[in-house]
Amino acid sequence: MFQSIFMTGLGGQGIITLANLISGHAFENGLKASLFNAKGMAQRGGRVTSEIRLTDDPKLDFGARISVGKADILIGMEIGETINSLSFLKDGGAAILLNHGFVPTPMILKKEPYPSFEQLTELYSTKTNILFTVKEPKNPYNMFLLGVFTAVAPAIDGELSFYSKQSVEEGITKKLKRGLEENLQTFNGGYVYGQSLLRPV
Amino acid sequence: MKKLIIGNQAVAYGALSAGVDVAAGYPGTPSSEALTELLHFSQNNDPSPYVEWSVNEKVAFEIATGAAWTGKRAIATMKMSGANVAADSILSVAYSGTKGGLVLYIADDPGVEAGMPEQDTRLFAQWAGLPVLEPADPARLYELTRYAFELSEKSELPVIVRSVTSVAHAKQEVEGEYTYTPLGRKAEFEKNIFRYTKAGAAICIAQHEALLDRLNVVEQTVREAGVNRIETSGEGIRLSVVAAGALIPYVREALSSGDHQNLSTLFLESVYPLDRVLAGEMFQSADRVLVLEELEPFVEMQLRSEASRLGWGGTILGKLDGLLPRVGKYSQEVIRRGLKTLVGSQEGHAAATHPAETSDRYSFEGEKPADQPPPEQPATMPKAAAELNVKHPITFCAGCPHRGTFMAINRALKKIGLNQDNTVVTGDIGCTILGMNPPFHTCWTEVSMGSSIGLAQGFYWAGTENPVIATIGDSTFFHAGIPPLVNALQHGTDLLVVILDNGWTSMTGFQVNPGTSEQFQAKGARRVEIEGIVRGMGVENLQVIGPFDQDRSVESIVQALQQEGVKVIISQAECALTAARRQERTLIYRIDSEKCTFCRSCLRETGCPALYVTADGKKSKHGQVMAIDPELCTGCGLCYTCCKFDAIHEKKIGE
Repeated sequence: MFQSIFMTGLGGQGIITLANLISGHAFENGLKASLFNAKGMAQRGGRVTSEIRLTDDPKLDFGARISVGKADILIGMEIGETINSLSFLKDGGAAILLNHGFVPTPMILKKEPYPSFEQLTELYSTKTNILFTVKEPKNPYNMFLLGVFTAVAPAIDGELSFYSKQSVEEGITKKLKRGLEENLQTFNGGYVYGQSLLRPV
Repeated sequence: MKKLIIGNQAVAYGALSAGVDVAAGYPGTPSSEALTELLHFSQNNDPSPYVEWSVNEKVAFEIATGAAWTGKRAIATMKMSGANVAADSILSVAYSGTKGGLVLYIADDPGVEAGMPEQDTRLFAQWAGLPVLEPADPARLYELTRYAFELSEKSELPVIVRSVTSVAHAKQEVEGEYTYTPLGRKAEFEKNIFRYTKAGAAICIAQHEALLDRLNVVEQTVREAGVNRIETSGEGIRLSVVAAGALIPYVREALSSGDHQNLSTLFLESVYPLDRVLAGEMFQSADRVLVLEELEPFVEMQLRSEASRLGWGGTILGKLDGLLPRVGKYSQEVIRRGLKTLVGSQEGHAAATHPAETSDRYSFEGEKPADQPPPEQPATMPKAAAELNVKHPITFCAGCPHRGTFMAINRALKKIGLNQDNTVVTGDIGCTILGMNPPFHTCWTEVSMGSSIGLAQGFYWAGTENPVIATIGDSTFFHAGIPPLVNALQHGTDLLVVILDNGWTSMTGFQVNPGTSEQFQAKGARRVEIEGIVRGMGVENLQVIGPFDQDRSVESIVQALQQEGVKVIISQAECALTAARRQERTLIYRIDSEKCTFCRSCLRETGCPALYVTADGKKSKHGQVMAIDPELCTGCGLCYTCCKFDAIHEKKIGE
């Protein structure tokens, strides 16, 4: 098993914390894991990306960065930035898309239309039919998405079953001290939401 | 023991395991976390090395050099641009060499994830005549930083450890000691003017010769240590791939997943000086050689030169033949294209214009800077996505004092019949440059640390009609802003310098600088106030303002712009992010949706990220009104100064 997970969003959304939890969990489960955060502009509302690569083969060599078209899973936390990251997802890869758009100041002032969640979903459906659309997320989004990811990961690849509700919860408890109760509650909400996405329609 | 750490932290622990005695640096992405980690270690452990954030990279390197000349081990850390600042000393120290291990950690940024030119430090090292180690990943960064001290002592040369963003910021498992055992050496500096001065031709020429001899020692020492290695996967292979530093794991990845089993590889983690024996071995067993390295054809040029010296008649594929790009970070696609061409397909050559993962082919003409595509975005963006593409310009954080300063500059210009499109306002490195972005559009230039004040004098002496304003942050002022201000004073320039003093080196992660409040200075360190420095220089026209008091700020700027000579305004308020970490908010602002007309003046002037559009208004068309995110609002009140409809009000926290 060798998985590349590309995550994208905006500074302030907690994407780095989410990436740390996902990659840290793999590491603690004895996998070889790598994380790269491009976060230079994070605190100023700029684009943030996290690249996670993990494998159960200790002999496998790989670089920290994910090339265009090589992400097995893409997690998009903000509509505009997720659109900008389409090229990273491989054909037929899995995408977890969050319905949240942050309209930049110049667009509000010029009253330009911001891309909708439907447009985002439509765009991604040209590349894959493995889409998990999180239409009604709860804040904090990163914890909600961690719940969704934990619920759907084993369905994306059976080898990702080590992301179980209980073990990820333990990870959160160990690593996040501030606002733990709220975070766990949101994680659980996300998990339930993620499960609902798995049910055949 | 194994830990999950980023490359820069690996540098810190590699240095600690080598028993480093002194460490100094200046923050700069992507290098900062190396010294941050060392500082953190020194503050929490005993024994520990002496660690400091220096005022600039030149000073940091000189401190490390002084320590190393006494026989102790020392490291200086910086981003590639910092090496330019330290260059004067680096080139001179290279001639003198060192006694104790002296390591210079420099992080480059192919693909420009942080900003500034795609400067290749390896060329810098060749210019200075210093050896360069280029580790492949965080684990090697640990090992080779540790090894660099040994190499430095054996060769008596400072050693450059060069990394790139992809390694410096990659978080991976690193096997290490994670402890510090001082070597316990006594500081002994030998008096020897032939080695430690440049007084006269005889001395300089002898030192130049010594430097070249030492480089030969490096070549041999590195060979014996097996830093570079040839791997062959079978008999009779006549194709070879040379990969340097950060590309090694990506080449392994490509080889393990591709069809190119029958290649021999030369993996280089010591790229200067070239190991000529190893290169000779490779040439002997290959007819075609592919060289993979990011940015400049540095290894390639050395190999071509060596091939020519040896009379080798094969083919070298790389950048100089136009196959691979000299711009940007290399993706798997670029590596695969190289491999494909190597094994004989002509397809690769046909695709020679395919870019690396970078924004190199974007045209900026006619676009406002903030409208540029994000540099992470590869040029291969699918058309459907490109059509929907949106850009999130970065801006000042909610509550940032710099917002108030740039609003005041814009308002002051307006008050005297000017504006930011007809009045040159030079910008400088750090958060303050966000004054060039919407909605401010105030800054015209960003060149290098401290350059705002020097450039502004050029604009003045060229005869620019309207007044010239230079804007600079506190850390940047300490770093390189003082000499150009002295120059302006001496020469009687008409110039307004606005120093935006938020008390921290914020852009790179809130490092301490000389102006940081006393309570955050290290034990035994003290605060140096900008006001005292500026007064000491003899600036008579000096005002200290608070940027949230807009009326007074605007008045001060207007007044200064109408006077002759050098005027300095220090605009002082702590960085909103560091303040928020300690202080509970007492009040925030809210917008009365009954009164908001959706004129958006608040957003147009402040661009504050706490402002958003909501649809519960009554007074505006379609019910749209502005609102303030209570989580983000710091209560700075700048939006309050924009509202003509009395729609923005204070709200005490807890009410």
